[in-house]
Amino acid sequence: MLFKIRTLFDSMAVTPLYLYLFLFLGPSNFSNSPFAHGFPSSSSDTTMHTNNWAVLVCTSRFWFNYRHMANTLSLYRTVKRLGIPDERIILMLADDMACNARNKYPAQVFNNENHKLNLYGDNVEVDYRGYEVTVENFLRVLTGRHETAVPRSKRLLSDEGSHILLYMTGHGGDEFLKFQDSEELQSHDLADAVKQMKEKRRFKELLIMVDTCQAATLFSQLQSPGVLAIGSSMKGENSYSHHLDSDVGVSVVDRFTFYTLAFFERLNMYDNASLSSLFNSYNPSTLMSTAYYRTDLYQRRLEEVPVTNFFGSVMETIHTDAAYRAPSRKTSGRADIKTSPDKMVTDDQIKTTTNSNVLDQSSDQKQADQACPFARLMSSFKNKVQTVEEADSLVNYGLVTMIPLLLLSTLL
Amino acid sequence: MAEVSEPAIAETSRPEEPVSEFDPKSMRKTKPGLKRLILTLSVLLSFLLGFPFLWKSVEIYRAPLPFREIDHFSAQLDSAPLLFPCHFQAILIGFNSKPSISSDDLQFAISDLTSQTPQCGACSASYTVSVSVDSDAICAVDFDSDDEAVDELLESTLGGPAGERKVYSVVVVNRDEDVRAVVGKYRHAWISGRVSEAAALSRAAEIFVKVFVNGGKEEGLIHGEFMPVGADGRIVLSFNLLNANPNDGVYDWEFQKIEETVLAPVIEALRPVANISVESQVLYHTPKFSFSYWDHKWSSYIFNTKDLPFFVNSNEWHLDTSVAAGGRSKILHFVVYVPSADEWPLLLQLPNGEVSKTNGFISPMWGGVIVWNPEDPGDTPDSKQPVRHKISYQDLQKVFEVSMGQLRQLFGLKSDNLFVGSSGTSRLLASDRGFTLWELDVLSRQHTCFNLHSCATTLGSLSRLVQSLPRMIIMDEIGKQVTCPDGLFTQAVHYSLEVAKLAQVNASLGVYDASAVASRQARSLAEDAFYHPSIMSVSYYSFEHCFAVYSPFFLPVSMHVLLAALREWRRHKQENKKYLAWKTKINKAS
Repeated sequence: MLFKIRTLFDSMAVTPLYLYLFLFLGPSNFSNSPFAHGFPSSSSDTTMHTNNWAVLVCTSRFWFNYRHMANTLSLYRTVKRLGIPDERIILMLADDMACNARNKYPAQVFNNENHKLNLYGDNVEVDYRGYEVTVENFLRVLTGRHETAVPRSKRLLSDEGSHILLYMTGHGGDEFLKFQDSEELQSHDLADAVKQMKEKRRFKELLIMVDTCQAATLFSQLQSPGVLAIGSSMKGENSYSHHLDSDVGVSVVDRFTFYTLAFFERLNMYDNASLSSLFNSYNPSTLMSTAYYRTDLYQRRLEEVPVTNFFGSVMETIHTDAAYRAPSRKTSGRADIKTSPDKMVTDDQIKTTTNSNVLDQSSDQKQADQACPFARLMSSFKNKVQTVEEADSLVNYGLVTMIPLLLLSTLL
Repeated sequence: MAEVSEPAIAETSRPEEPVSEFDPKSMRKTKPGLKRLILTLSVLLSFLLGFPFLWKSVEIYRAPLPFREIDHFSAQLDSAPLLFPCHFQAILIGFNSKPSISSDDLQFAISDLTSQTPQCGACSASYTVSVSVDSDAICAVDFDSDDEAVDELLESTLGGPAGERKVYSVVVVNRDEDVRAVVGKYRHAWISGRVSEAAALSRAAEIFVKVFVNGGKEEGLIHGEFMPVGADGRIVLSFNLLNANPNDGVYDWEFQKIEETVLAPVIEALRPVANISVESQVLYHTPKFSFSYWDHKWSSYIFNTKDLPFFVNSNEWHLDTSVAAGGRSKILHFVVYVPSADEWPLLLQLPNGEVSKTNGFISPMWGGVIVWNPEDPGDTPDSKQPVRHKISYQDLQKVFEVSMGQLRQLFGLKSDNLFVGSSGTSRLLASDRGFTLWELDVLSRQHTCFNLHSCATTLGSLSRLVQSLPRMIIMDEIGKQVTCPDGLFTQAVHYSLEVAKLAQVNASLGVYDASAVASRQARSLAEDAFYHPSIMSVSYYSFEHCFAVYSPFFLPVSMHVLLAALREWRRHKQENKKYLAWKTKINKAS
């Protein structure tokens, strides 16, 4: 809802006069300036690449956006085939195609008019479906700020050794991506989420693939290191669908995704084709748009990075040399167990007593700080104001007292 | 009458009028009234008075966060790495002549081995060293008996009660036999054999630095991928028995018993480092992903280390089904894989051509896999029901010994028990708790370090994030004191800082366990604050939004009010001027 209002008022022409008049209201608030990027020297070079994650998002719903869901499901199938397990894939779909009343092939979703491959066939695990695909949920997945009750399968549980593939498809425009026909994801929100992910070391490297119109504008505000991004079209260009399936009645796949899949169908998980070969396989004449990618935030050279670094599975393995054999493993162990529950209780008690000590210390400290008399006065005033139930009622009182003031002045 | 009186008035008034004309445009006879001015000014005043109330009502509630303290804390940790006090003790026995080495020599030897720039978790520069000779209690220990007995005897003499400061000791016994060095399960080691004083000194220093302080590794630092503790300080150990093809035989295990005997002491030992819980399950129809081939030499199916990354078949192995694990806990999977009968026996071949003794491997931050080959499964029976087997307790014990080794590997320690140093090989005794006391000390120190650093970076990120979004609501739960009875979610940031300081205090006192626990708690609180679901930077109530909502009403109205007040004020001044002009005219005339 916030976004709707924002776009509504953005479209309002704000005259300079009004701007000048209201400059005094918030000079400090105008500058949401990005603070200095004091990143510590990124230790991402030293951490080991331990796992791969994929976040696949389809931001459209309704029957005529069939191709977007087919895009996402095709990529899901590719990524699973190359080895990323379901527990490390977050799939967000509106999921209203397969069982749509207009679907001539119920429970089947195709990405090609030859209908060779049913994308909805087996083992499709959708994590966020229907109306759960919102900008807020998407940003929560990226930043990790969920309510406590959200199950693990809906969380992005990556760590500092993870490579994440983020694929988004749908309708987009200049610096935004439309979500479910009702809200938008702004490019600066995405950049902000990625920045927070980097601060919290939730990924080692991130590959963003966007298949929408004017896709390259969506990642124009990114500034975090270790991010590689490719979009299907540049600013001012549209991304087109590949072909129309006259049987199903709608277009079934987009060009960018079609050529991406064509590249991956030739691979299996033992291959090491590089990312540069993937990016160079996009031909502007067949795509009818320019696939633009930015590598300025990415340290490694694209020729050296295999595509399985993002699209496949990787498991660093270390052989176990020897068993850990302790000599005394006899019934004496049983006697030890009996005493340990008591010990555990005392440990907890010790822990809680130290906790309460800390609590008392912190409250005492706060009171000792108020040495300055002005600060004391202000704090006592603030406390008094806070004891008034709600700020709203105070405002109401103030507004009400204005009326007698007005009456007074008219009587004079 | 009026007619009569009027001209009379006019006549009478006329001679009273002054001669100069009265110009109604620039003069007026009466003092201008203040009513209009006061009316407009009061409206303006009420607007101005109401403005602070309006401002307060659209104010964003932001609980105050201690930004300066957070910055100070991070700067403190960055500038001075966290160092722990250490106490070393060397005891020399059996040297006939008066030994010429003193504690200064030992200190010199130790400082030689420690690096110039101490890393986090290492010993502080002010460690204490003492050398003593021929202590009677130690002489009584019989070094001929086996190592475990010697260890116990040494512990009874050297080990003080818990709570006293921890001293690492090396006992050097000069006897007539080959030199061997053994590191015990507690906090002492001994070197026995024909050893000169200088050699003894250097060997003891090496044991002190490389084993007791660095944990048996060259560099003392454990990397982040070997710290599998979740952000809330919990680990879930998930043990899975996988039957690749249950048609050949269904294997089951008695997990409860083995958990009580083998796992419970380990969990208790690791208590300061992490809060561990255990789960287990048995899965069926779980083939592996990679392929193996028949090898005649070993008369078994072989898979080698190149296949290891593809062994885990994540499509069929549904391992992460834990409901006990919270969102931020870490799950470590321990898989015992029983191959199908047509791939029996399945052995792992190492790059050097040898077959692995353990048949197992780990993946950091994920867990470990052990391939267990059952006894000859025989021919597939014709009966429709698969034969049910139970893994015997002895076999299970062997499997769990490998699991213990894997758990140690996941924590960054080695699973074997030899330390190869520059002056020789030492034997490390194994403990039935999975970790020896000195290894637990190393883990506590390293985890304290890691947790405090993680806490500092998390709080720093949080403060930077909050400061960069000046219009984002910050709830009390994230910020300061709210005496709300439901637990640790309140006071998250302040509490986290307090607990972190407590951890530092404990570290400086040398209380490793308490500092590890406190640092774990601090990290968990910092993570709670950072991951609070209300911090969503979704175009938060931006200034543009506020402007766009309020300006259509307030701008025109306030403009009118201001203009009206200004106009009235100007009019009043004009009228006043006119009146003054009239008055001066009268005064001049009169």
